[in-house]
Amino acid sequence: MEMRIIHFYPDLMNLYGSRANVLALERYLKGLGCAVTVEAVAPGGEADLGRGDFFYMGAGTERAARAAMEDFARFGSGLKAAAQDGATMLFAGTAMELLGKTVTEADGSAYDGVGLASFTAKHGKRRIVEDVYGRTSLYPEAVVGFINKCGVVSGVETPLLSEVDLGFGNERERGPEGFHWKNVFASQLTGPLLVKNPKLLETVAAAIYARRGETLPVERPEDPWAEKAYTVTEEQLRLRAQGSHAFV
Amino acid sequence: MRKFIAILVCKLGRAVGKLIGKGSSMPGQAALKICPDILQRVKLPKHIIAVTGSNGKTSTVEMIAAILRAGGMSVVYNEEGSNQIEGVATLVLTHATLGGEVRADVLLIESDERYAARTFQFFHPTEFVITNLYRDQLTRNGHPEWVYDAILPAIHPETKLILNADDPLSGCFARGREKVKWFGLDRCSVSMDSPDGVYHDGAYCPVCRAPMEYDYVHYNHIGAYRCTKCGHRKPRTDYTVTAVDLDASTLTIDGEVTVKLAFRSIYNIYNILAAYAACRECGVPGEAAAGVLSGYLLKNGRMQTFRLGAHHGTLLTSKHENSIAYDTNLRYIAGTEKDCVVLVIVDAVSRKYFTSETSWLWDIDFDRLNVPHVKRVVLAGRYCNDLAERFSFTELDNWSAEPDIAAAASELKANGDEELFVVTCFSDRDKILSRVEKEA
Repeated sequence: MEMRIIHFYPDLMNLYGSRANVLALERYLKGLGCAVTVEAVAPGGEADLGRGDFFYMGAGTERAARAAMEDFARFGSGLKAAAQDGATMLFAGTAMELLGKTVTEADGSAYDGVGLASFTAKHGKRRIVEDVYGRTSLYPEAVVGFINKCGVVSGVETPLLSEVDLGFGNERERGPEGFHWKNVFASQLTGPLLVKNPKLLETVAAAIYARRGETLPVERPEDPWAEKAYTVTEEQLRLRAQGSHAFV
Repeated sequence: MRKFIAILVCKLGRAVGKLIGKGSSMPGQAALKICPDILQRVKLPKHIIAVTGSNGKTSTVEMIAAILRAGGMSVVYNEEGSNQIEGVATLVLTHATLGGEVRADVLLIESDERYAARTFQFFHPTEFVITNLYRDQLTRNGHPEWVYDAILPAIHPETKLILNADDPLSGCFARGREKVKWFGLDRCSVSMDSPDGVYHDGAYCPVCRAPMEYDYVHYNHIGAYRCTKCGHRKPRTDYTVTAVDLDASTLTIDGEVTVKLAFRSIYNIYNILAAYAACRECGVPGEAAAGVLSGYLLKNGRMQTFRLGAHHGTLLTSKHENSIAYDTNLRYIAGTEKDCVVLVIVDAVSRKYFTSETSWLWDIDFDRLNVPHVKRVVLAGRYCNDLAERFSFTELDNWSAEPDIAAAASELKANGDEELFVVTCFSDRDKILSRVEKEA
């Protein structure tokens, strides 16, 4: 199969190793035998959303995200149509906020997101930086990651992580995190969450296949380093989560 | 009276703390409790130099102290590196008379970039050096613009800024200000034509977000930048490295004074220049500053070397969570000539706090090691699998992973006689240094 990955603003929304999500997915799909094209979209650049199998935007600074949104607004209706049609997408870090209705910054000024989801984001003066350990309803293994943001996201009814044992979720400590609807994945877990969570990578790939009317082949690419890295971090964070619970 | 008691408590606390080997922030903390505005009530020296930034704070401060002291000035500075307000209070009050006068020519402060505003609400630096601002410890700092916003309120209108002309982000501190002196490098032997590295923080203007262009670059996105829209660009420099001769290990400042470097590397050149600029602004003649710097660097600028089996080893300390520090050291290795082995250790991401965050590995350009004389790379420590996963996305295939640092050291000791470069952080370096024979 030929697969097309559309990567929005790789030079603008590039914090915390965000690009690794695209690298990991590209390699995984190639491992499944797909011919993969990655199309980078810069501000002002063109993108044919009708021909995308996977849409991605990574984390940026709050100012970069606002600048990205100024350009991204023109893709709003196309992106919503694609999502409705079952297209797979991942919006990570600050990019998640751009899928919602509005983003209100710490100085009180606000701007609109694309409105694919009904949540709103509100920034504050406190930086929320901590490891996260949680669970998704998509598969049994725990999700690991790191949150690095400065505000809360309110109004998410279908979170990606339904339970969070360690770290800050959308609105509060140990509250649900991210957003998941159809094949839209969004999370403020920063950086390479598809690398850190091999099972999430597989789940995203399965969603891409599903839209093509296919299931993932039984023979799948193995990545022992990613699996071992996950095992170490999962254990570290689980122990941490249990420890912090003991004090509650 | 409260002032007197606060100073007394601080001095006593410091004396006791030194005896029992306790940290240097507690006495200042106690003094600030007794008299919250104590730092406003003391009489400070004529020159108050502060240094902050992502990289190079400590070495810049140490070089400034060496130059000023060699020139006969008395300098008080936080040598123990406790760089938040409590540590600064301890520093100031232990060097004050009971009447509250700091008897020194210069108060020199290495300031934590995120907490500078707290420290400088009670007094302000006369000279404020900001070395640079880029990705560093993002698990605490958020991102460079977040740090920028934290530093901005620490800058008093009367403070003279000494800024890096080649850094597009920290250069923004000059906006709307007149008292600014700039240091930077002209195009020279170490320059490149365009930004390198795996991410491009110089791609867009930090002021207006229009694309930026570069005339030349010294490392990553540090160089002669130019916004294509708003006029934000590398300014004309007041203190300039005009030539770098790596073969002779010298750099030339302002076309007239020469500083001898300890080894062949662009590492530290900006810190040297920042220290030079700060001292010139305090009235030290250029020749004198350069002379002290040369002697200082020959004495302190050497890297830790050691032997491990038949390997001659060099420790390249690289802050974890700081991709530019790593990139600089990888570039150094790529620039050497002898056959070598590289050991990268990531065991504790930080020595100060817990985190399993390894996304910063994706910001490091490990492909710099893809040169013929790097014979193999050993990845070690608890997070060696994360390193291995990162390496699996490079062009390199001569690497292996070993979680146990002792086992990695034994294997290296038993095999090979190439040069060995160890790339790791303060938090992990003793885990290898305890297993080698150090050279003097």
